[in-house]
Amino acid sequence: MAEAQRERLTDIGPPHYEKYLPPVVKKNYGQWKYHELVEPGVMVHVAESGDELYSVRCASPRLLSIQTIRKFADLADKYCDGHLRFTSRHNVEFLTTKKENAAKIKKEAGEMGFPAGGIGHGITSIVHTQGWVHCHSAATDASGVVKAVMDDLFEYFNGEKQVPGKCRIALACCLNMCGAVHCSDIAILGVHTKPPRISHENLNKMCEIPLVSASCPTAAIRPATVDGKASVEVIEEQCMFCANCFTVCPAMPLADPDADGISIWVGGKVSDARSKPMFSKLAVPFIPNNPPRWPETIAAVRKIVEVWADNARPYERVGEWIERVGWPRFFRLTGFEFQKEHVDDFKYAGLSYNRSAQLTHEPWEE
Amino acid sequence: MPKEYKTPKLDDLEKGPWPSFVKEIKQAAKNNEMSNDLLAVLERSYDERIGHWKHGGIVGVMGYGGGVIGRYIDIPDEYPNISHFHTMRINQPAGWFYTSEALRSICDIWEKHGSGLTNMHGSTGDIVLLGTTTDELEPTFQDLAHVGFDLGGSGSDVRTPSCCVGEARCEWACYDTMGVCYETTMRYQDELHRPAFPYKWKFKFAGCPNDCVAAKARADISVVGTWRDAIKVDDAEVATYYDNGMDIFNDVVLNCPARCMKFDHESKKLEINNADCRRCMHCINAMPKALRPGDDKGATILIGAKAPIIEGALLSSVLIPFLKMEDEEEREAWYDIMEEIQDIWCEEGKNRERIGEFIQRVGMANFLEAVGVEPIPEMVAYPRDNPYIFFEQDEEEE
Amino acid sequence: MAMTKDQIAEEMYKAVAEAQEVGKKLKPMDLTKQMVKAYEDEGVDKKMCKAAIKDLVDSGRLVYTYFGGSFLELPHKEGASND
Repeated sequence: MAEAQRERLTDIGPPHYEKYLPPVVKKNYGQWKYHELVEPGVMVHVAESGDELYSVRCASPRLLSIQTIRKFADLADKYCDGHLRFTSRHNVEFLTTKKENAAKIKKEAGEMGFPAGGIGHGITSIVHTQGWVHCHSAATDASGVVKAVMDDLFEYFNGEKQVPGKCRIALACCLNMCGAVHCSDIAILGVHTKPPRISHENLNKMCEIPLVSASCPTAAIRPATVDGKASVEVIEEQCMFCANCFTVCPAMPLADPDADGISIWVGGKVSDARSKPMFSKLAVPFIPNNPPRWPETIAAVRKIVEVWADNARPYERVGEWIERVGWPRFFRLTGFEFQKEHVDDFKYAGLSYNRSAQLTHEPWEE
Repeated sequence: MPKEYKTPKLDDLEKGPWPSFVKEIKQAAKNNEMSNDLLAVLERSYDERIGHWKHGGIVGVMGYGGGVIGRYIDIPDEYPNISHFHTMRINQPAGWFYTSEALRSICDIWEKHGSGLTNMHGSTGDIVLLGTTTDELEPTFQDLAHVGFDLGGSGSDVRTPSCCVGEARCEWACYDTMGVCYETTMRYQDELHRPAFPYKWKFKFAGCPNDCVAAKARADISVVGTWRDAIKVDDAEVATYYDNGMDIFNDVVLNCPARCMKFDHESKKLEINNADCRRCMHCINAMPKALRPGDDKGATILIGAKAPIIEGALLSSVLIPFLKMEDEEEREAWYDIMEEIQDIWCEEGKNRERIGEFIQRVGMANFLEAVGVEPIPEMVAYPRDNPYIFFEQDEEEE
Repeated sequence: MAMTKDQIAEEMYKAVAEAQEVGKKLKPMDLTKQMVKAYEDEGVDKKMCKAAIKDLVDSGRLVYTYFGGSFLELPHKEGASND
């Protein structure tokens, strides 16, 4: 068989990117001068040489069938000499030197169900994780929540509605945060709220007890003998449901239909523009999972977007706006209830207390 | 013909303007039993509000310890086609550029060996091939290798490095992110495929402080482009922005964190005190046609970012304020420091301890001493504000 | 007397097998440290250990596994598998 005869290749690494670059990119590599938004979803980069490259950025659900990828390939053949790329936020971008092609791509991709948008001040695709589609520790679904939220916020993607600055939304389906959502303007984070159910029957067979104990960030897991079997016990008051133990030991599942849900965090950023990078902070501690459309989650995200869009100054990110006007204003305007969970009690919690008498007094009546 | 399942909840997610992942799964399910069962089990998760996947087991192909995520369903009797449903991570080309031909070659291989479903791309940057059986891993791997693709990282190894589009299409790129990302990936092939570290290690390459790959939030080593000479100003374009109605004083000058700019409405000139400029990018972002990073470009190297698990989330902090990335010798010196850091981390790090957590545990100053890097003021937001100083005792008492 | 890469691979294999007997998992790093500690005088260093691990894994005698972190184990039908 041919399969058996061919050489087994290992450690070849990824293909060299150069072979996939459009000629205009190769020619002007490192020689770009400026870029401009042409219309929603379309931008042009102009090189020192005067060459132009039009990029049409289209929405993608991230989870793509090979049939759809082939359609993207066909579209790239038709208008881009076969060249396309994807962005760090899962969008697909078609690259062409011809302005007239850009408009055609936008139209045809839209008809295929992949509308253009997400450039500049607006809301682009949600970076997200696997959720119930493929993950063992998911506390919520990922693709479904993203679809529901982006359907709702679509007018901020396609340029119909303007916002003051960039707003990055990300979703992770548990605290492991494969999506590293912790520095997003709005982070949607799946949370478990019940401690692990220990299968004492299997634990010692499936897992190594010292590793399980060591996996707990709050040292809540101790070795214990249960019904004559070596196992562990969880000090429940110390458990914050991170599922780290479950990742190390499958005999400690936490998932629970009623106790799993979504928390919402706000005001993070990674860019250094104006202010330094910031972590996202807790806005809503818990919203139950409500598939297929998660209406309560959609409403909370929309609320944040709307109060920010109505109140922030140009360029101000969500976190910058809140830093300027203060958290009391944020909670008053969003109507989110400030609860015990909002006050940090982990390491360095004291740094988050308001150590100053600088306060607004809410609400301000003119 | 695959079995027909009723999926009313998921069907609802086919509606609406945003592209639908349900349509994608259904598309693949037309001629793939795995995707068809996936659709059914996902509907069940939507009904029951709980996932049905188990992890563990297989992690790679023969010789590799990364690149495959073992996945099994917890109710295999009901959904036999996805009893195994392993993920393969495929190292993406730097910058995520493709030709239609390259994409089709991946699709053809995945049609033959797997579910026909993908993520373009995973959060770390890999092409993610979603769902196949243990038996198909090796043939998929070799088919991909013969069209030029290799597996990415997973587990306690160097994770697939990723970068922003950089000089390929961005005037703000301060070094060749794609070039350095590729170089690093190739140098680290062994560490990428054979996990030998206490935990994962991520390299991310961002061309400027805007950081489109979120390097500062999630990479153990964040390489962030910057420059150290003056911002380039095109006076005529500044005036054009002003004439076109831009509120340069409020939107640009007042947003400068260093307060290092002045704008004169009469002459329409923008004056920058470059000595005080912090290279935050705001003014350049606001006026891309008028302002650009300087010519003396390079990168700031930061260390230790991570998501919360285990000891809490960290942002990376400055290790090397400026490195001339185009200079091969400086890059070599940087690779040497990386190796030194990884050696010490391997020697002293605890199981599942990221480098950022390791530094928190042993102390940044001790860490720097161990890797032979001098502490400098650029590394701290401020010097210590507590007097619990561990002065070192003289050892020569004899 | 200087030990060869093959000899250290053999020692590693034994160490993993013994650990597995008592339900313990070894990380490549643990294994390397253990070997260097025991056989440093016989010229065993990290580099040689790395090469020995590669041989063991390439030949299929040991496999990598994942439980929150990466480990080396003797090949076996693993707990979560549905086989």
